Amino acid sequence: MDISAAILLLAATVAFAAPLIFAALGELISEKTGVINIELDGMMLAGAFCGVWAALDSGSLTIGFIGAALGGVLVALAHGLLCFVFRAEQVVSGVVLNILVLGLTTFGIGPIFGADLGRAAPTLQPISLPYLSDLPIVGRALFSQTPTVYLAFLLVPAAWWLINRTTFGLALQAVGEAPAAGLSMGIKVRRLRWFALIACGALAGIGGSQLTLAGLGTFTQNVTAGRGFIALAAVIFGGWRPFGTLLAVLLFTLVEAIQVRAQALGIHLPYQFLVMAPYVVTILALAVFVGRSRPPRALGTND
Amino acid sequence: MISFVAVILAFVTAALLLTAAGQNALQSFAGMASTAVGSNFAVGTTLTKAVPRLLPALGVALALRSGLWNIGAEGQIYLGAAAAAAVALFGPPLSFPLGTALALIAAMIVGAAWAAIPGALRAYRGLNEVITTLMMVYVAVQLTNYLIEGPWLVPNSTWPATPLIPFAFKLPPIWPGTLVNGGAILAIVGVAVLAFVVNRTTFGLWLRAIGGNERASEVIGVPLRPMIVAALAASGAFAGLAGGIEVLGVRGRLLEGFSPGYGFEAIAIALLGRLSPLGILGASLLFGALDAGAAGLQVASVGISSAIAPVIEGLAVGYLLAALGLAEIISRRREARSALQSAVRS
Repeated sequence: MDISAAILLLAATVAFAAPLIFAALGELISEKTGVINIELDGMMLAGAFCGVWAALDSGSLTIGFIGAALGGVLVALAHGLLCFVFRAEQVVSGVVLNILVLGLTTFGIGPIFGADLGRAAPTLQPISLPYLSDLPIVGRALFSQTPTVYLAFLLVPAAWWLINRTTFGLALQAVGEAPAAGLSMGIKVRRLRWFALIACGALAGIGGSQLTLAGLGTFTQNVTAGRGFIALAAVIFGGWRPFGTLLAVLLFTLVEAIQVRAQALGIHLPYQFLVMAPYVVTILALAVFVGRSRPPRALGTND
Repeated sequence: MISFVAVILAFVTAALLLTAAGQNALQSFAGMASTAVGSNFAVGTTLTKAVPRLLPALGVALALRSGLWNIGAEGQIYLGAAAAAAVALFGPPLSFPLGTALALIAAMIVGAAWAAIPGALRAYRGLNEVITTLMMVYVAVQLTNYLIEGPWLVPNSTWPATPLIPFAFKLPPIWPGTLVNGGAILAIVGVAVLAFVVNRTTFGLWLRAIGGNERASEVIGVPLRPMIVAALAASGAFAGLAGGIEVLGVRGRLLEGFSPGYGFEAIAIALLGRLSPLGILGASLLFGALDAGAAGLQVASVGISSAIAPVIEGLAVGYLLAALGLAEIISRRREARSALQSAVRS
């Protein structure tokens, strides 16, 4: 592999990572409070759909991203309503919402975007960061990305700081570890869970919109293609830690980049083994490192 | 009963959506009805499409009786299908019904073995089976895709499918003029088996004991860990069988992406059927009819996506969850009130 192929691989790894980072950080915050979102993929899909819809209608990318966040939040609200108010199992609610969102976004393509699929929303353009993009070799690969890619990477330390260095973050964790104890200490368990869930919806929605608004500007059926599940795996493989999650995402997107460029790289491994890799390593990591990293104790419980 | 109300509400909501999309909702539903129940052939199609949902749903319900979530039925379906195809394509040249039976048994064994892995990880390493069964779906699907696109592909073909399986291995049609095959009978047997196993066997008693209280069940002598593995394995066997039936009875070959999410729908169906075998039968017939009806919808209303079918499915289960929650809230309020009343009186 020569150096230019390596640079292309690096650039693709970073670019593919953005949607997953947004969604995985959202899921991380939510799981910290004990709420698991099997419908993370549905949140991303809703964000991808609503993002294009809002951007097309307004002609503004900013409004597009707000629309994307709202789309994800809508799914989060449905999940919260079913789980917190109606006390449904989080797993069931998640599975059902995935089915529903995939159905609704597919159904909506015709009535909302019309037959004219050529009509594309405005899309994000890459911005070269001054000085950094002039760095030799890696400069153009790493620092000539769309603004949301930079934002995604900046969110990782922000999430770390929020979770580990603020009272608010500690309260979030307390809710996921021992909700009853948290309640007795005066922590508003229900309110924090709602907050984390809605934040997750907004982040996953924005993550999903990366696939449309930072891409072709059009929505196609099931555009997320299961990326929500990869983000879910990244949170687990990353040991429920922000930087661990980032590393997991980068590992997974490196594999994705290799898969896309396999032919150019002269790799003859059947691509199916690359596609399944994130899930295999996540299960192996869970099985081997039992106890070293574990989910929040109250994950999946409603009270 | 509560499921009926949820389904009706789902149809009402779907009618509103269709109207909002500029369609005549009644005309759309009539179109759906025509290809779901409008003729013998339509009914046959509904039955055929209910089978791959019914069997995995029975499996999901079985595991759930012991409090275990099998979110991975989708993967078990694919590997079960691959196993059946392997026996039919590469096995000894058996005659009907021996070959078909062997292929279906292979499907059940592979489905069970795949589900036993998360079972063992849960029982002996304490891993949450929700996460592991879900993650293993994508591994199973990609493994199957590899087999189809790689070693098993029709020579020199670009269409991702294996060659047709020998005639002797096929599940024969049982209703002339329709698509219904022997798999429908197996699915009905599956309903009876689940009812019998859960209610009339020690295994079923243990399942329910674990589902009631894991710790307590161990105290009274239930072999907890082997039971967890067995429950998920049995669940996977149902899903594997569904995959085998799709290959031997419906498609006649192993085909990439043949299941559009039957295994995930199975979870919704198990819930809509309230975990009862007959309830699950009814719910899977509804989902089969919606799937069959989706084809008629596109004929009746030009430009409308058949995706209204999964929308109705999702809404129905969503409303059911809400209704169940509401019922519980009401009954809890009532209890609290009567408790207060008796406290005041005494």
